[in-house]
Amino acid sequence: MSSLPHRYPGERLFSFCLIVFSIFIFWRAYLISGFSELSSPGAVPMGASAVMVLAACIAFAQSLKTPAVEGARFFYHCFPVVVGVMMAFIVLYAVLLEQLGFLVTSALFLFITLKALYGRSSLWTLGLTLGALLVIYVIFRLIFQIILPEGIIPEREILANLSRLFGGA
Amino acid sequence: MDSLSYFALSWMSPELLALTALGTFLGIYVGAIPGLSVTMAVSILISFTFSWDVNHALCLMVGIFMGGVYGGSRTAILLNIPGAPSAIATALDGYPLAKQGLAGEAIGLSTVMSVIGGFVGILVLALAAPTISEFAITFQPRDYLMLAILGITLVGSLSTGSLAKGMFAGALGVLVGTVGLDPLTAEERFTFGVIELWDGINVIAAMIGLFGVSEALHQLHHLDKTIIKQKINRIIPPWADVRRYLPLSIQSSFIGVIIGALPGTGGDIAALMAYDQAKRSTKNPKVPFGKGAKEGLIAPEAANNAAVGGAYIPMLTLGIPGDAVTAVFIGALFIHGLNPGPLLLVEQPHMFWFTVGNLTLANIFVLIFGLTGIRIFSKIVECPKAVMIPLILLLSIVGAYAINNSVVDVWWMLAFGVLGYFMRLYNYPVGPVILGLILSKLMDENWRRAILSERGDMGSFFANLFTSPLSCVLLAAILFAFFSQTPIWQRWLKPKLLSR
Repeated sequence: MSSLPHRYPGERLFSFCLIVFSIFIFWRAYLISGFSELSSPGAVPMGASAVMVLAACIAFAQSLKTPAVEGARFFYHCFPVVVGVMMAFIVLYAVLLEQLGFLVTSALFLFITLKALYGRSSLWTLGLTLGALLVIYVIFRLIFQIILPEGIIPEREILANLSRLFGGA
Repeated sequence: MDSLSYFALSWMSPELLALTALGTFLGIYVGAIPGLSVTMAVSILISFTFSWDVNHALCLMVGIFMGGVYGGSRTAILLNIPGAPSAIATALDGYPLAKQGLAGEAIGLSTVMSVIGGFVGILVLALAAPTISEFAITFQPRDYLMLAILGITLVGSLSTGSLAKGMFAGALGVLVGTVGLDPLTAEERFTFGVIELWDGINVIAAMIGLFGVSEALHQLHHLDKTIIKQKINRIIPPWADVRRYLPLSIQSSFIGVIIGALPGTGGDIAALMAYDQAKRSTKNPKVPFGKGAKEGLIAPEAANNAAVGGAYIPMLTLGIPGDAVTAVFIGALFIHGLNPGPLLLVEQPHMFWFTVGNLTLANIFVLIFGLTGIRIFSKIVECPKAVMIPLILLLSIVGAYAINNSVVDVWWMLAFGVLGYFMRLYNYPVGPVILGLILSKLMDENWRRAILSERGDMGSFFANLFTSPLSCVLLAAILFAFFSQTPIWQRWLKPKLLSR
């Protein structure tokens, strides 16, 4: 998609937003230390944001000249529903992660997204979800020792009990 | 003698040996599966390995880098889908070979030539890096500043057609890198009064967002792509073929290592240039180029693997990453407490020789894994994207969370992921953002040092640019990189020069 020389719906708006953002950042950079000294903490941020303003303006001007892709629709070719839904799921995951814990949130995330994208039977999706989750859990939690939120499942207690059981203590 | 023992360290330790093998094995699959990239894999991996011992983490990442560059060729040959940009040229003749029923031979030949290319790259790295490093010690702060600007300008201008979009992306990266407390004066920069921003925006979260999440979201556009399977015959290439194509392979390797060492270029450009050179220099190919010429397969494969060794030269000796992959890699080195730059070879020569030894080992594993397990491989790369994408997203989220055990980094990852998605969509390159982010500190420090050494006088700063030959060359390179992308050059000067 990126190799096409034409303009996709929403490019002008995106480029315009970048101009507004760059101007705002330039103003914030100016507030750091103004034009006091060339070696001041604000010098590089001001320089970088000035380049951003200039480059964003040129990119916007270029987008005005570039012909639009015929028949392209924003919500079909650029931002299909599935992309928005996946973004929403990531937001939901981040919100629920600390409350529900890694295992429950990840299982829900995997099951729903796999079901939505792959469309196989619920049983098959559940099996894949649990299998994938088990592999991820063993690699990252047990081997890499990464601490992940426990949430509603008392993981540490379960693990301690299991190690006592198999350790023969 | 010490150098030799550091070189052999990863060969002698079973743990390091196993991690290098695992990294190379995973790298081949990461490079081969369209939609997964080495940049994505290394950026996700950093978050899981930053608490590891540096040698262990390096072994895994070096393996992934080396295997990933090679792995892209597999799907280019079998499916006509280059797994990585460096394998675009490979598909031109590799896929026609596969269609003729020679998929196995093509894979075998590309593996052997990739390994030869890899060895040439590593040899040049081992020979050239110490000399360049000694020279780099004499660099002035203004030279470092200009090297950083040159790197961002080249990456920004070469990665898309629009210089403005590339420059925007590079400047955005530099700006994001300045967020937090100023390291010299502790003044707040873009913190908006939020204490959590005093330490700045986490580079790993930004990397995962830009390369992991945005790429996965982008792949959602291509869920319905079908895969055409190829029959695989014998893999081990005939010895006569290896001997016959060895000169071309070595010639292409040198092109690869030189192109790979230049900031802003990488395996993809090296492979395309080597392909072009092979096309010019091969007088009477048995099969025409584009229809399954073995020369057209060998040249890009030798070049893109040689470019890995080349890319390590500026990374280890100057601390300047050449492209997005090496930018992520250099970020990993910083996180592990290493300081890539001219002093690395003086203060920590063991790390340099360890890396050279480890690259060599990974290259040997490329040969081993490249010539085996092809049937399992073709099954794994057929894994549907609808299954792969949720797994990548889950790994990205877990990776971002694991950095500081904080959801804040997940939010940053998501923000950069959404930004990266729209940037890719509208042809803004994301590589320069990471390059700018990595080089931001170096630019900020060296700009201020350079200006302070001139006592704040901008006039003498510019005057000194013309008194030092190195500064002059760097300035000329920046100006050329800039003007070669302007409409005046594109419309007027370039056609005139080409017509001569």
